[in-house]
Amino acid sequence: MLEATDLMVFYENMLALNNVSIRCDESRIVGVFGANSAGKSTLMYTLSGIMEDIRKKEEMSGGERITVLGRIEYMGKEITRLKPSKRARLGIVLCPERRRIFNESSVLENLRIGGYLASPKQAKETLDYVFQLFPAIEKLKKRVGGFLSGGEQQMLAVGRALMAQPKLLLLDEPLMGLSPLIQAILVRSTREIRNQTGISIIVTEQYARPVIPIVDYAFILENGTAVLEGTKQEMLGNPDVRSAYFGVEEEGGKS
Amino acid sequence: MSDEQRRKERLDRGIKIRSDSLYAIMSWRELAYLTAPRFLLIAGILLLPLLVPGMYWQRVVSVVCIYALLALSFDLMAHYVGLVSLGGAFFIGTGGYISAMLNTSLGVPPLLAIFIAALLGGVICTVLLLPCLPLRGVYFAIVTLMYPLFLARVIEALDIFGGTDGIMGVESFPNRWVEQYFVIAMVLLFLFGLRRLVNTDLGLVLRAVMDNDQAVKASGMSVALFKGLAVFIASGIGCLAGACIVHIYMWSGISLFALDFSILPIAATVIGGGGTLVGPVIGCFILVPVSELLREFGTLRIVCYSIILMAFVVFRSEGIMNYGRRKYHQFERWVKV
Repeated sequence: MLEATDLMVFYENMLALNNVSIRCDESRIVGVFGANSAGKSTLMYTLSGIMEDIRKKEEMSGGERITVLGRIEYMGKEITRLKPSKRARLGIVLCPERRRIFNESSVLENLRIGGYLASPKQAKETLDYVFQLFPAIEKLKKRVGGFLSGGEQQMLAVGRALMAQPKLLLLDEPLMGLSPLIQAILVRSTREIRNQTGISIIVTEQYARPVIPIVDYAFILENGTAVLEGTKQEMLGNPDVRSAYFGVEEEGGKS
Repeated sequence: MSDEQRRKERLDRGIKIRSDSLYAIMSWRELAYLTAPRFLLIAGILLLPLLVPGMYWQRVVSVVCIYALLALSFDLMAHYVGLVSLGGAFFIGTGGYISAMLNTSLGVPPLLAIFIAALLGGVICTVLLLPCLPLRGVYFAIVTLMYPLFLARVIEALDIFGGTDGIMGVESFPNRWVEQYFVIAMVLLFLFGLRRLVNTDLGLVLRAVMDNDQAVKASGMSVALFKGLAVFIASGIGCLAGACIVHIYMWSGISLFALDFSILPIAATVIGGGGTLVGPVIGCFILVPVSELLREFGTLRIVCYSIILMAFVVFRSEGIMNYGRRKYHQFERWVKV
């Protein structure tokens, strides 16, 4: 479905992604794990096209020069230089890191903004689906987004992304800063989304343990390079991975 | 991976001037590399009055310096404290009226009156702006825009300080060379002084206030105090400029509160490059003469002006100085990936 080959991203002279190739098949959940500065967010920005937008803005204000090399193919079409809005229309929707919900709008408004691309009928159906998925935020419909708790905001962000009728959903660190209970809810609903709608999902996370049960295939990034990839079983069987990303050893923690 | 994939690489050229505490200058070439731009600027500004044709353009140079001081004050407030001020006219007016009154009523000589006006005006402006300091962005801008209008109308309505006629008979500088080089010296003094200031701890705190004032508060510092201090410095510079202009024109009136004094420094900052301090000065040296040259076109000059400004904002929002600095300190080359 999505295949990125030899992605290289430079921020000025700093290499943020080095020859990363990842693929995601239809109705799969792919996990991308790595520490801070491993390049997870850069990868998500590049896949969703936000990187093109950042690049243009930096160029106009004379900031960092961002170079993106490589090739991204989505459903047999090359989209490497496509604008993020066009990619969203094709079905690649990013649920950004730190949620980035519209703080001043209510929950319902947030979701409706997300549903801009959907037809009224689709929007209504998806809205019901989101509320069924996250009953917690249905009760808060009229509440202003900025006053929600972290977990509610994350649910809202996922819901907003769903409203855009994605075929491929990119979840950038959806569990960041959340309690184990909320993490479990989000992980469960991520699997439900895939099982019920067939949407492919790429999810990044620093700490793999909560997410690994639901992923079909996983990549591990280290300093911008994809050092390991494999199915869930292969990952679980690898002692290095276990210590670094599953917290079997103490140092694995949440850093 | 195909071979034709290339990217442009930026590399720093030259030397690292300050490695924390150490000056490492190895050769004349490096010395020149460091000092040439500064030397060029200083020499250029100092020689300018001798090079321009006639007294009219010398007067223009003086006016440029007035605007340059205002632009410095704007740049300090906007890019180092995060207060976008439209109050250039407010500073000019306050400083101008104080200096004019000191000179006409108390007989204080111009060169002394200017400094008293700068200090006193700085205090007055800071006190008047204190209530607005917690405001940010557009709100602060609006308040600072209102002050000059407000003061001008008060003077007009109450007929104080000479009312609409203004204060006549203000003493001029001893001679025109003193006038010329006094303002130039002030521009250079404050340009390099402020550059020093923003690199001290105080400058560090000010920039932190701009970034995240809550974190500054959490570090146990009084945001209001630092903002007040910055506003005092900036308004003092503005008042100094106002005092100078009063003694140049030998007259003080409500046209000192004209919007030009608020807008032009901002335009100069945009063109020159915000946050560089040198940029706004250079911007003034471009904009003011251009506006003088365009004077024949009458009202159309505002149109030309606006087009220049818009072009800069849209296509080169970094400004001349940021662009030039990058080109000077870095070189680019294509590298194979």
